[in-house]
Amino acid sequence: MLGTKIANFENKPKPSAKMGVLNSEKRSDQWSLLLVDVGLNRSRKSFAQLFAHFAPLLKSFAQASRHEGWFPGLSEDLVQEVMIKVWQKAAGYNPEKASATTWIYTVARNCRIDMLRRKSNTQHLPLENEDFWHEPDEETPVTLLRQKRSEDKVQASLAQLPPEQDEILRKVYLEGKSHAEASEELGLPLGTVKSRVRLALQKMQILVAPEFRDELL
Amino acid sequence: MSIPKHHPDPAMLVEFSAGTLGTAQSICVAAHLHFCEHCRNEVLRLDQIGSQLLSQSEPETVDSNLFDSVMSKIDELPEEQEIKFDKEDLRFPLPVAKLFNKAEVVPEWKKMSSSVDVAQLVTGQSDYEVALHKICAGGKTPKHSHSGKEYTVVLEGSFSDESSVYSEGDFILRKEGDEHQPMGAQNGECICLSALEAPIKLSSPFGFLMKPWLRLNPM
Repeated sequence: MLGTKIANFENKPKPSAKMGVLNSEKRSDQWSLLLVDVGLNRSRKSFAQLFAHFAPLLKSFAQASRHEGWFPGLSEDLVQEVMIKVWQKAAGYNPEKASATTWIYTVARNCRIDMLRRKSNTQHLPLENEDFWHEPDEETPVTLLRQKRSEDKVQASLAQLPPEQDEILRKVYLEGKSHAEASEELGLPLGTVKSRVRLALQKMQILVAPEFRDELL
Repeated sequence: MSIPKHHPDPAMLVEFSAGTLGTAQSICVAAHLHFCEHCRNEVLRLDQIGSQLLSQSEPETVDSNLFDSVMSKIDELPEEQEIKFDKEDLRFPLPVAKLFNKAEVVPEWKKMSSSVDVAQLVTGQSDYEVALHKICAGGKTPKHSHSGKEYTVVLEGSFSDESSVYSEGDFILRKEGDEHQPMGAQNGECICLSALEAPIKLSSPFGFLMKPWLRLNPM
């Protein structure tokens, strides 16, 4: 997802560099258009707008981290690193696949892991976290419509999760706790933590049993 | 490419998406995703949880010089050095290609038994031993049990054991005490990625006297 499919992306009809030309197959939210503009035209103006919106969110995301070895002083370092990556990788952003916010979340998650790894590892890991998200070339594209629908569903249902499910997702995604660590902290059996997560995912229709793959959404 | 039938537990995909999964398990999950469109889409949807939580965060004011500092760094960015992969390298999932084909010291295949070769991968962590295994066509491995967790992903060919046949992309978790006897398919060699949990932590002051634990289990 992160810049590894540039060649393929170029082969597709290019998203219009003129913003505001919309049709059902184009993602139309403001941030995604700005990110496409940064990727195609290296627009510093669009980048500045992305920065103004995302840097404060990223700082908040960084400050929520409770990873071992993380301290608040790293927050702005992370913001800086993420925004530089956004600039570097923007050409690989595929708006058909994910919204700008989702894409930037994945960049932030990967940068956070890489920073933690650099701090803790004595041995050098010859991988960057984004290598784990490399996609094979024969990817069948998920249609934007389907993707959009699932984003809307996640957004709407996340807000309605019972507090105990919401709490665990926040621990995992924001604080960076594993299921095991969350269970220890909350004084709950691991099985309970896992089943709460699973219930939340079912509610958001994120989990689909493999046998239903064709009926997806 | 066949469609994988054995997938990681959803909890693992959640930790993968949240970025809390250990390095060795992440390599295995990434290898499975290379083959499994179903799980790739699931991870894409899981990423939306992180995305939503990010966008709902209470914005925190950043240092007023931060933007200028980012812009000046951008102006000084060196040209990105891309590692070139040829087709042969990319028959493996990218993290495996990087750790094997493009490693600083390319791991050597070593004979483990008459039918199994093993190549250890250097992954910068010591909780799991990560390796590639090659079982020759029709090769039988000795029956063995597991002393810790082991994740296996088939990268090429197929193998079978008492309970199933495993083909490209299949993700298998063996737990402590599981016993099995894998066998390579008759029609060609089988290459698997595996991550075996280190059974002993060398925490005693005399740890250095103990041999680094040896891999006895072929799969």
